[in-house]
Amino acid sequence: MKRRKFRLMLIVFGAAYVTALWWVFTRSAPLISVRPVTIRFAHWQIEKGPPEGFAAVIQRYEQLNPRVKVEQVAVPSPVYRQWVRTNLTGGTATDLIEFAYWLQGMNDVPVRYFEPLTRDMEEPNPYNRGTPMAGVPWRLTFDDGLYGMLSQSPEIGQIYGATLSQGSSRLFCNRELMARITGGPVVAPATFADFRRLCAQVTEYSRRTGRPLHALAGSYSNAQWLADFVMIGTLTGMNLDLDREGYLGRVAWQAQTDYLLGRWNYHRPEVRAALALLREMTEQMRPGFAQLSRDAALQEFTRGEALFIYSGTFDATSLKRLAPFPVEAMRLPQPTKDDPVVGPYVVGRYQDGYLGTGFEMYLNKQSPHKAEALDFLRFMTSVEGGQLFMDHSGWLSSVRGVNVPKDMEIYRGTMDGFSGGFQYVGVGPNSTMKFWQHLDLLVGAQGSVDKFVEAMDTGLVKDVSDDLRIEIRTAVTASRAADSEIVAMSALNRLQAPEAERALRQQTMAGNQTLAEINEYECLWVLERHGYKQP
Amino acid sequence: MGRGADADVTAAWSLAGQHLANDALAGLRKDHSPDDRERSFAEAVVRMDVQPVTETGLKKVEAELSALAKGDDEIAQASAYLIGRLYQAHYFAPDYARAAEAYTRLAEKFPGGYWAQLGLVKLALLKLYALPEPAGPAARIVAAEALFPRVTVPELQRDLHLVLGRAELFHEYAIEAVLAHLLAADRIGGLTQIKRGELQLQIGELSRRARHWDQARDYFRRFIVENEVDGRLSTAKLRLAQIDAAQRAEESHR
Repeated sequence: MKRRKFRLMLIVFGAAYVTALWWVFTRSAPLISVRPVTIRFAHWQIEKGPPEGFAAVIQRYEQLNPRVKVEQVAVPSPVYRQWVRTNLTGGTATDLIEFAYWLQGMNDVPVRYFEPLTRDMEEPNPYNRGTPMAGVPWRLTFDDGLYGMLSQSPEIGQIYGATLSQGSSRLFCNRELMARITGGPVVAPATFADFRRLCAQVTEYSRRTGRPLHALAGSYSNAQWLADFVMIGTLTGMNLDLDREGYLGRVAWQAQTDYLLGRWNYHRPEVRAALALLREMTEQMRPGFAQLSRDAALQEFTRGEALFIYSGTFDATSLKRLAPFPVEAMRLPQPTKDDPVVGPYVVGRYQDGYLGTGFEMYLNKQSPHKAEALDFLRFMTSVEGGQLFMDHSGWLSSVRGVNVPKDMEIYRGTMDGFSGGFQYVGVGPNSTMKFWQHLDLLVGAQGSVDKFVEAMDTGLVKDVSDDLRIEIRTAVTASRAADSEIVAMSALNRLQAPEAERALRQQTMAGNQTLAEINEYECLWVLERHGYKQP
Repeated sequence: MGRGADADVTAAWSLAGQHLANDALAGLRKDHSPDDRERSFAEAVVRMDVQPVTETGLKKVEAELSALAKGDDEIAQASAYLIGRLYQAHYFAPDYARAAEAYTRLAEKFPGGYWAQLGLVKLALLKLYALPEPAGPAARIVAAEALFPRVTVPELQRDLHLVLGRAELFHEYAIEAVLAHLLAADRIGGLTQIKRGELQLQIGELSRRARHWDQARDYFRRFIVENEVDGRLSTAKLRLAQIDAAQRAEESHR
């Protein structure tokens, strides 16, 4: 009897243990929460900085809102797209989700799964009371007025998210190494010629000391950011030249239709010059960089094997915390009209860094706690929330009115130059893949501009046509979604007391839909007459 | 509660306006009479958005809209318009000819109605870019311009001007003709946010190319004043400096 009782106890204990294990590994949450509402948000910024920034914001928000518990879900970037797609489709996604327009193959997501915030953005953010942003419409409390988000919106005029941060690409310098190499004080290169001279000094130092050393830490990602810098600067003039519509900038569908219309290609002299400069710059990276990840470049830099790393300011906190030497952010000087490689095509100073704010958070349309999630988003992007996030993450806030530490001012993009808008490192997912798959023809001892442009322009019509089809598909999806909203606004004004604001919203939506359809039909026209046709 | 509408219909429209089609559909009462036009219309519109959208589902929506379009009220007009939209944008293989037919019929039946006039703007797009006839760009533009007298709602007139201005730019018409449309659109007004700024930039930049210095300056200045955070701000400022320099050079040659 005693033995049976003991066995029973053992079984009960074992079952309880297994249940506890299951709970810990699958739920990791207390059985009873004193807060009736839990909201979650997902992001892929698992570098040093943002998780700590979020923790500080959450702590303060939970103090202010005892009903609500907030959890951050950090998802590694390599699986992020699949994670978002699967969870949104399965109805298990978090209430707020980080998303970006440039995530490939995801153009349909905002319209299908995210709640438009356009109307909310016209109201002041209540968390800004008592700050310089009090009474200011939420949209205008962001440093760029959400221009970047509006200009990339799949539905013209519709705002689908709020941004948390801003930044740009910068040269991060190993100060100790620079002092050793130059034998003088640490001074940021003032001109592109100065930068070239520094690169030559690094090569000479490496040869003299026998120490493996490069001017730039190398990886596929770091080369991509470098390519953006080189191409956008050299091709600003081409962008303005191609600007038939007079918008003073180009976007993807325009670059695609322009290619199919024969208005530009990789043989154009300014494109060749930009590629020559890119080739020259990548020679400052270690051989085989194109096969290396961003982490490998970071390690190369922190081991002291590269004088600079050219990276986004999103890496600044990691670099400063991981490197065993002082790191200084510097601007990469822009080539000027007297540059021997790209000089003839430089139209003037161009915008340095990304002017748009980023790190975008979107509200899941199917969230069971939409009001609370929106409220938390408002707090995150208020002056107080932005300050907390910046102070604890080291990432520059997107919000106006926060106090930016002096050493972070350099992260900001500057507006004192031309904005071209497009860098032609491909013009859509297919052509961009082709660009990077052929990079070996441009760089290294065997590479050349001739080989690369020949390979790029061969058969590119098919890739660009496929890119354009994707653009059209996205535009059609957005246009369809607008129909029900336009009709709904009208019906509500018919059935209820008419509201001027609702009528205006209906007119604006109808107008924006028509304007978006102009772009869509121009794309169709070009695709039908000049696009790739299956033989 | 509004003018005789049931709460579930109003709630459905509200949810449809937020793209919550499944919630809207779930909230609509199922036991309504087939004569309840408001509810039938709401259900048809909501079903256009319910995922997964299928060809068969859209065919059912079209049948419902066709029945509703036989009336004389606003629901009839909006239903007829949506039939055009189904053929223009919602069916997986668009049928532009049928869309154009739907818009034309609607405009004949209710010439002064909002939906009919919005349909005419869409018809202009189809004539300019999508229909097989007329073949050449010039004939297409003439055909679209012929719709102007029939569009009397100011904001739709504005949109038609913008459609024509862009088509003329696309087909490389003289800048003066394009500017006439854009300036007319600006006079009507009502654009907001990024679209308003883009129209200012367009007029500024095209006026600069046409050497209408004062007009160019005026529009670039307006853009600068109203868009303190737009990424193209410095290019607009640089353009102002270039306009001053070009005008000075022009005057010194006289």
